[in-house]
Amino acid sequence: MSDLFLDLTFSLLQTLFMLALAPLIIGIIRKVKAKFQRRRGPSIIQPYYDLAKLFHKGSSQSSTVSWVFHIAPYVCLGAVLVASLMVPFFITNTLGVIGDLIVVVYLLAMVRFFMTLAALDTGSAFGGMGSSREMMISAIVEPTMLLAIFTMALITGTTILSDISFNLASTGLDLVHPSLFLAAAAFFVCLMAENARVPFDNPATHLELTMVHEAMVLEYSGKSLAIMELASWTKLVLFAALMANVFFPWGIATEVTAQAIIMGIVAILGKVVLIALVIAVIESSMAKMRLFRLPNLLTVAFTLALLGVLSYYIL
Amino acid sequence: MSVEDLKEIMEGLPPAILPAIAHWEADAEQLTIQVEKGALPMLAGHLHRKHHARLISEHVADERREEGCFILYLVLILPRDKGVVTCLAEIEPLYGSFPSITSEIFAANWFEREVQDLFGLTAEGHPDPRPLMLYDDWPADRYPLRKDFDATVPIPRVPSHYAFKRVEGEGIFEIPVGPVHAGVIEPGHFRFSVAGEPIINLEIRLGYVHRGVEKLSEALPYAQGTFLAERISGDNGYSHSLAYCQAVEAAAALQVPERALFLRTVYSEMERLYNHMGDVAGIVLDTAFTPGAQMAYLLRERLMGLNESVSGSRFLRSLNCLGGVRRDIDHVASLRINAFLVKAKLDFNDFKMKVLGMPSFLDRTETTGVLSLEAARQLMVVGPVARASGIDIDVRRDRPYAAYKDVSFNVPLHREGDVQARFLVKCEEVYESISIIEQALDQIPAGPISVHMSAVPEMLARFSLVESHRGELMHWILTGAGCPHRHKVRDASFMNWPALEVAVPGNIVPDFPLVNKSFNLSYAGNDL
Repeated sequence: MSDLFLDLTFSLLQTLFMLALAPLIIGIIRKVKAKFQRRRGPSIIQPYYDLAKLFHKGSSQSSTVSWVFHIAPYVCLGAVLVASLMVPFFITNTLGVIGDLIVVVYLLAMVRFFMTLAALDTGSAFGGMGSSREMMISAIVEPTMLLAIFTMALITGTTILSDISFNLASTGLDLVHPSLFLAAAAFFVCLMAENARVPFDNPATHLELTMVHEAMVLEYSGKSLAIMELASWTKLVLFAALMANVFFPWGIATEVTAQAIIMGIVAILGKVVLIALVIAVIESSMAKMRLFRLPNLLTVAFTLALLGVLSYYIL
Repeated sequence: MSVEDLKEIMEGLPPAILPAIAHWEADAEQLTIQVEKGALPMLAGHLHRKHHARLISEHVADERREEGCFILYLVLILPRDKGVVTCLAEIEPLYGSFPSITSEIFAANWFEREVQDLFGLTAEGHPDPRPLMLYDDWPADRYPLRKDFDATVPIPRVPSHYAFKRVEGEGIFEIPVGPVHAGVIEPGHFRFSVAGEPIINLEIRLGYVHRGVEKLSEALPYAQGTFLAERISGDNGYSHSLAYCQAVEAAAALQVPERALFLRTVYSEMERLYNHMGDVAGIVLDTAFTPGAQMAYLLRERLMGLNESVSGSRFLRSLNCLGGVRRDIDHVASLRINAFLVKAKLDFNDFKMKVLGMPSFLDRTETTGVLSLEAARQLMVVGPVARASGIDIDVRRDRPYAAYKDVSFNVPLHREGDVQARFLVKCEEVYESISIIEQALDQIPAGPISVHMSAVPEMLARFSLVESHRGELMHWILTGAGCPHRHKVRDASFMNWPALEVAVPGNIVPDFPLVNKSFNLSYAGNDL
């Protein structure tokens, strides 16, 4: 009983932590990108101000929208937060009992599903374009993501995310297997694709015709835009947490002691910021790919994940 | 070119046209043929096919008070400056129509639609007679460029509908974009017909910034016209005012002092430099490689700072006057420009190396938005767009004005016609511009920078071509009493917009902004 209570407390704490941290991570990415562009750039806490501003603003919407458009922001943020309950952040105590990696992956698919529905709902041409592109990308991203995390499930013998972290972190280097790196590489490509980063999408563009993610939230304003933005920022942190704790969980707290938890917080902050830096460097060092070349890159990721699974059995 | 060559053209005319010719005369650079309007398509077609004449402008002047009719002017230029041929035809006000030459010279398409809108004259046999310049809710019986149009009376709004071309078929849908865009861009409406991502058809609807520049100019004394010309299109304001000044100076037969000619060359190239810098930066930015774009934007900013320190204006405003220029470049400023350009060239080298060394950038730009040589010739595009498609034209070399005959430079040429070719042409022109400025500053003679403007005789038609950073632009002036009787402006964008409609189909929707950026056309310059 007390175990469940601990799990519940910690997963709530971790979810809140991810939610609170998300704007900061976005701020850091933007700041680093600005430095690469020889700009000073806004402060790293600017996204918090943006959210506060949006929450105070009125909202307007197209006259054709139905209830889907109105509930989509809450569904998206809700699904991301529920998924966060099952993902270890600084400690391996999570609500793993209510769902494993498959539930997490499909909760994220639900975010995408409602976002594309809402975009179609507005009746705007850009929404339709954004939706069709998002679906094209996700058709390959989804199986890749599953395969990559499955590789880790094979290595550690469990599909529950916190147990994957726990097993890896507590066993030390014995479980390190070549397929871990293949799967990690595949997952990183998914991270970039799912979070609409260059070379898949350009989060900083004003060109409606080139947008993928931005085109889908184009019709949102005010509070609902703030919730949509917060949902996608939290999703980025969630992906970073998956990357950090499923593939390289070392440093995460595996027992409930103050020392371990502080250590875990420092470790995860370091890892998430490191991932943010890598994203910023990649975004600053290449052009966006042509839309129809994206499947090539995604198929490479899929192949890597597949090799990860195969090499687990062969090696 | 000599009078004999132009006379030879007259002798070579097919016999069928000869009876329709009322009058002709040839001087050192211009052949003027007055012809019955019915023979116009045949004459234009002959000059185009036999002599490869390129259409510069087709426009009308309202001379009902003077001559009792409208007069249609067709200005054609022979390749490599073998001279200019102007065909005139009278249009009786009663019938109000003229035969369309669009089937002979396709580039006349928009010109004739513009004449229909602004003068209420019908282009008979025009394949696409929809309105072009005036907006949909403009009443059908008001023609702003007629002399009896009163610009002070408010215009009633009449609801109407513009019929876009429809593409039909399974899975085809339309994407309307604009006229209000997400960024700080001028207004224009783009109607895409797409099958998934590939674009089947693009139709561009402009005219949202029609300000009546030509009508305004008819009420402005010549001296003030330079300021109006500057405001036609913000970023090539210097080129526009230069073309206006040259046209008026030609009418007044005014000799501009040598020093002013060199200064005009320097200012023209300074304008081209900062604009090209913005263009290449924009292309890189639209591939989402922001750090690279920023290198060129930084240079552009510094160049505009240089403009300000030399001329007092970041956009080189108010530098021209009739008879010369207003502001001299002294020895100190000239040293400053030279020192700056040496450094700018190195910085630009870095930018070029960085961007062209990036496979992901090359992959985006190669084979994107191809404008074939054939299409470019048919549409008679100008400027870097033409030079990227293999058409070797440049007013600065072919028909030198200011001091361009005293400096040597290359005209970069590429044949691929894609975004990358346009990018490369602009990059190479940056080096040529730097070299032209350096040469001009080295040779600049001492002397006055302007002379007093003499009186301008009435009813003289003169025109001037200037190579702006977008390409050849034209100001054509029929002089009147103290101000132009008719002032026709043709920006390079007016020739190049239709080419965008040709270059885009076959590409995918997300590549359109990149293609559009590589053309970088002016909306205000087109709409007037």
